[in-house]
Amino acid sequence: MIKVEHLTKRYGKTTAINDLSFEVAQGEIVGFLGPNGAGKTTTMRILSCFMPATGGTVKIGGLDVFTHSIEVRRKIGYLPENSPLYQDMRVIEYLRFRARLKGLAGRKLRMRVDEVMSACGIADVRRSIIGRLSKGYAQRVALADAMVHEPELLILDEPTIGLDPNQIRQIRALIKSIGKRQTVLLSSHILPEVEMVCDRVLIINKGTIVASDTPQNLVGRMKSSPSLVAEIKGPTEAILSKLRAIEGVIRVSFEVSDEWGRFVCECDKAADVRAAIFQAVSANGWMLRELREEKRNLEDVFVSVTTTEPADVKEMN
Amino acid sequence: MRNFFTLWKRELTACFLSPIAYVTMVVFLAMSGGTFLMGVVRNVGTNQPLSNLLFAALILWTTVLVSVASMRLFAEEKKSGTIETLMTAPVTDVEVVLGKYAGGLSFVLIVALPAIANIFILAWFSPGINTTAVDPGAVLSGCLMFFLLCAFFMAIGLLVSMMTNNQVVAAICCFCVLWLVLLAGSLISALPLITPHLAEFFSPVMHIDDFSRGSVDTRPVVLYVSGTVFLLFAAVRVLESRRWK
Repeated sequence: MIKVEHLTKRYGKTTAINDLSFEVAQGEIVGFLGPNGAGKTTTMRILSCFMPATGGTVKIGGLDVFTHSIEVRRKIGYLPENSPLYQDMRVIEYLRFRARLKGLAGRKLRMRVDEVMSACGIADVRRSIIGRLSKGYAQRVALADAMVHEPELLILDEPTIGLDPNQIRQIRALIKSIGKRQTVLLSSHILPEVEMVCDRVLIINKGTIVASDTPQNLVGRMKSSPSLVAEIKGPTEAILSKLRAIEGVIRVSFEVSDEWGRFVCECDKAADVRAAIFQAVSANGWMLRELREEKRNLEDVFVSVTTTEPADVKEMN
Repeated sequence: MRNFFTLWKRELTACFLSPIAYVTMVVFLAMSGGTFLMGVVRNVGTNQPLSNLLFAALILWTTVLVSVASMRLFAEEKKSGTIETLMTAPVTDVEVVLGKYAGGLSFVLIVALPAIANIFILAWFSPGINTTAVDPGAVLSGCLMFFLLCAFFMAIGLLVSMMTNNQVVAAICCFCVLWLVLLAGSLISALPLITPHLAEFFSPVMHIDDFSRGSVDTRPVVLYVSGTVFLLFAAVRVLESRRWK
């Protein structure tokens, strides 16, 4: 559905995207992640034909976004960042106007507008003026606009921003159901959500792809295994040296919490050091209050691939 | 073509949804009416045609009207980011420019129309005025030139609005440019080697004066039509320019 090859975008001297290549297949829900300023919005703007690339090609449904701009735009529904809307229009007027621009007419138009309004849960505010709606409603109006013409590809730039937890659930379910028939590319900073919704995750940093896989595989591929948190009462230095001596422990960091010391051990993937930690504690007559394994999640993957290497090295020493 | 009408309708409705439009409308009608009346009072006893006074007053205040009507066309879309939703819909740049232009221009004409009626109202209620003082032909040709100038001014306003994302900046710049255009004849005549006769070709003030006396000349018509077309073409190019950057 989407085929991006060697995409580059420069704004003057700054490079926003550098040689980006990826593909998205029909019917996939792909999460597009990256730190602020990584080039997510720029990429989405290029995909949606709002701005051209400096170099490289983008094909959507086999059509080039630059040379077949209008045809491509018919195929996609785009929700820009911050959901810009005409503040002075009523919800239903706005959606009908947008649907007409996107080529719908007559009964089909009215039907689709009603459908997306109920799907997005905005049917009760259909006569309200958009400028007076809360952020959550406005966001859903924009989403309804993006999907009104049943596009083959939905490009959503932070679709759940400004929504409350209930609405987020609703939108998540909606995106999942859309994803059964259509292709969805969405960006978000809410990582658990991406983990739940997306079939695949693309993480970009400084304009290049740094990771691309299913959320599960990405988590599984992390270099170190889950870290262990142990709360131990005793002489800090002695505990640290004992813990570091355990085979399989890569590094130990120490955080104070009242008189109990809180030790975070990062361990080798294969090793299970929980028993060894307990033994070390009991052998020295210290006290153990908590021993907990912290599961790796997408957030850790995100942090590890988007923070620069030198910082990691410094921490190790 | 369908998109053009959709955009036109949206633009025209948007004009009437904004409170600024109503303020402008009242100010325009009051000021142009007042200026017309002042002109009439001052020229009592002279043989100045009424239509001449009317259109001089109208064109003076049209600069304000057009500046306000055109300022939001693109500046507002850019400021609020809706330009992104608009330009990612399957509409061409030409459709967007023409739709917005037509919306703005029809708003200006709708507002100005009652002001043209001033002349008939004055004739109706003033038994002292000789009915022959209002020459329908002259009013008609005045309307033609007024329309052409509105169209030309609106195209200027559209282009200015496209170059900024601040409506106030757009309105002020547009107002300044419109006055430069209005006074172009006098400004050009101050240059060396330019004869007053030559300067007259570029003077909207002279053109509206001639036309509202009933003397129709094709040269200004060609000037303003081609000027408008050129400005709209430039506007499409400016909008397209985002695709070259």
